[in-house]
Amino acid sequence: MVNVLKGVLIECDAVLKQFLLHLDETLAFGRKFVLEDLDETHLFISSDIVNTLKEKVWELMDNNSFNVTKLD
Amino acid sequence: MAAGGKQEAAPFGRHLKCKDLHQYLQGLPVSVLDKLYGHPATCFAVFRELPELAKHFVMRTLFAEQPLPETLVNAWVKKEQQNFCTGALNRLKQLRIWRVVTGWSQTRYELNPTFRSNLKIALCGGGQPWCGVADDLGPDRHSKDKEFLDKYALERWEAVLHFMTGSSPPDGTVGISADVVQVLLVSGLMKSDEQEQSPMITPSGFQFLLMDASSQIWYFMLKYLDMVEARGMNLVECLSFLFQLNFSTFGKDYPTDNMSDSQLRFLQHLREIGLVFQRKRKSRRYYPTKLVINLAAAGSGSMTTASEGVEGFIVVETNYRVYVYTDSPLQVALVGLFAEIICRFPKFCVAVLTRGSVSQALLSGITADQVLHFLRTRAHPEMLKKTPVIPANIADQIRLWELEKCRMQMTEGVLYNQFLSMSDFETLRKYAEDLGVLIWANSNKRVMIVSKSGHDDVKKFWKRQKPRE
Amino acid sequence: MAEDTFRRLLVVVCDLSPIWWGKQAANASENSDKMQPINAFLNNVLVFCNAHLMMKHTNELAIVCATSSKSQFIYPCPEDVSDANGEESYGNMDGKYEHFATMNNVVVDKVKNIIEEESADDVNLPENSATLLAGALSMTLCYIRQAERNCPVGQSMKARILVLKGSQDVSTQYMATMNCIFAAQKNNVTIDSCLLMSDSGFLQQASDITGGVYFKITKMESLLQYLLWMFLPDPNTRESLVMPGAVQIDYRAACFCHRTLVDIGFVCSVCLSIYCQLLPRCHTCQTRFKLPSAAMTRPKKKKKEKTAD
Repeated sequence: MVNVLKGVLIECDAVLKQFLLHLDETLAFGRKFVLEDLDETHLFISSDIVNTLKEKVWELMDNNSFNVTKLD
Repeated sequence: MAAGGKQEAAPFGRHLKCKDLHQYLQGLPVSVLDKLYGHPATCFAVFRELPELAKHFVMRTLFAEQPLPETLVNAWVKKEQQNFCTGALNRLKQLRIWRVVTGWSQTRYELNPTFRSNLKIALCGGGQPWCGVADDLGPDRHSKDKEFLDKYALERWEAVLHFMTGSSPPDGTVGISADVVQVLLVSGLMKSDEQEQSPMITPSGFQFLLMDASSQIWYFMLKYLDMVEARGMNLVECLSFLFQLNFSTFGKDYPTDNMSDSQLRFLQHLREIGLVFQRKRKSRRYYPTKLVINLAAAGSGSMTTASEGVEGFIVVETNYRVYVYTDSPLQVALVGLFAEIICRFPKFCVAVLTRGSVSQALLSGITADQVLHFLRTRAHPEMLKKTPVIPANIADQIRLWELEKCRMQMTEGVLYNQFLSMSDFETLRKYAEDLGVLIWANSNKRVMIVSKSGHDDVKKFWKRQKPRE
Repeated sequence: MAEDTFRRLLVVVCDLSPIWWGKQAANASENSDKMQPINAFLNNVLVFCNAHLMMKHTNELAIVCATSSKSQFIYPCPEDVSDANGEESYGNMDGKYEHFATMNNVVVDKVKNIIEEESADDVNLPENSATLLAGALSMTLCYIRQAERNCPVGQSMKARILVLKGSQDVSTQYMATMNCIFAAQKNNVTIDSCLLMSDSGFLQQASDITGGVYFKITKMESLLQYLLWMFLPDPNTRESLVMPGAVQIDYRAACFCHRTLVDIGFVCSVCLSIYCQLLPRCHTCQTRFKLPSAAMTRPKKKKKEKTAD
């Protein structure tokens, strides 16, 4: 018997993957979305979450960056 | 030909690609290409854009009437460099400059006779003058100096760019005609909105704005030429005329006598976008401007041609500040596409590159390279003295901001797991791999992912396999 | 090939020695009623110059002519600016690219002027007066320096010199010529030499030292073909083309006392001046040599052991 799942393959660096797993465990979007943890740099997730996820990652980047050119 | 213009606008984020002269010519039908070589100016322009080796091949055979065996041509080039030789030969063959001569035991090449005679005319003289024999008009009573022509050209071309940005051009300039708007629409640089009357700029339009002036004009001309035949004009005549302008002298006037109807209509369009100056529509002389001279070299994108003629006005400092020394609202608007304007004075403004402003530009489809190219080609002469022209930390940071956006790569697919046996897994994996639809697989876990488009085929294959078990 | 963004300047140095060209004309008229050799030569050189300008729109050109009384820039010439209006009167009578036509007309006019001037002074010239090659080379090098300085910011220029020479070398010019050659080498200027009918030791050295091509043409009819084949490719392109091998180079130096070429000579241990005979004192640096008696009777190849005091 073969099981078939539809979704989106995500390829990213190991650090970002851990962040995604964290989002999954803490139910950041209200539910689990990682369908399969494939390896160090690959995840398989459900496709309806993609856009929300993108925004979340973008938000993370925003929080992580500080403004070097901030005017006093 | 006309259909060539109906190309879809570049999808979001795709790089706007500008064909060079040869790529354009290779796309033309053979009969048009052969007719084009009937004018010395075209042969000259095509020759100049050939690869270095190919130029020498042509030069060496220009005065040699006999067909040359391929082995001899190969012997001209050192062994280590043979791949350049093959490249040069292919280019010459594609452009139908060299043709293979039949009837010999080995492959022999011969220079296209039309090309040969016209290149010889450009080089050594003879034949008809380029613009036809014209009555001497005498000196122009309303002759214009070079500064006037430069100003005129810039003003006209900026009117087009202004139209694209949707900002109102400075007072006293004339808007652009429907013909030019049509080119902008067809080329996908702008699209007309359902609700609004006036066309809107597209992501490729933004990329277009950031190109240097000569590349912009070259891109525009290519799109224009695609539509020439649909307007009932003769493509060969227009192209020859364009190349003739390409090699004309700046500040000199040329007569409009002996020009065909197509060429006269073409001239009016060129006049509108500032490539030539003609005092009145009926005036019997015109002046080519700097925008059209050496235009054919623009497509090759060499850095040297980009900054020629136009003085740079942008200074970028390592502290992310951008100083813009210009009074052109257009240029300020362009800088505003990717930088935050913080102070604005007459003839001068200060902007700052921030993560936010650059991401905004990236979101509207502009790439980091285009931003850097914009800054580099419009760099102030003082900046040009430094190497690299753009401070390394700025260039790196802009690229890093771009990379941030592609930290995740997403591919839609279908995952297969829980295979009962290794052989089942391997069969299916191999089948998907052969189809080229496999995007990820791991034999230890017996998990594989195929692309969405390949799922149907793989599913059918699996169903066929199953009954045998 | 790497993306080549240099502006390439070619300076053509032509030997217009009236004596040599006069002899050629005399030879030619015996054979047939063909074109004057100098006309044919000029036509060929101009087509070659056009071809150089044709290669790229950033390519630049200058032409220097050297006679036995002076060296002079023919193109671009300083008076060009003043008779800019006169230029247009040449008009564009045929299908030649108009920049070429203008350039060629200017050059032909200038050469005519030079020849007329030369023939006026002809009487005063000694029979064996030599072409002022060294002078022309120095002018060229100065011009190249200037052109490099005037190059627009952000761009760089690579220059090379092509010497077209028919007349014989004269050893009185040895020092000046060698200095020019080393100056060129130091400035990374390649000197290509195209010799008409006879070899030249100076130019062999010049091309060898600066990495240029040296070639002797024996048939004037095929001058253009040789020019296009060997001298049109710039040094960068030559790396990928098969070029003729090096010739045997005459590296003999001229002595400082009589300006004769010597195989074996005497070298001052202090300033390295070369002499064809033994001298008690160096003319250049005034060093006195204490001569061991043995050396007086039988001079050795090189007096290395001499001490200066």
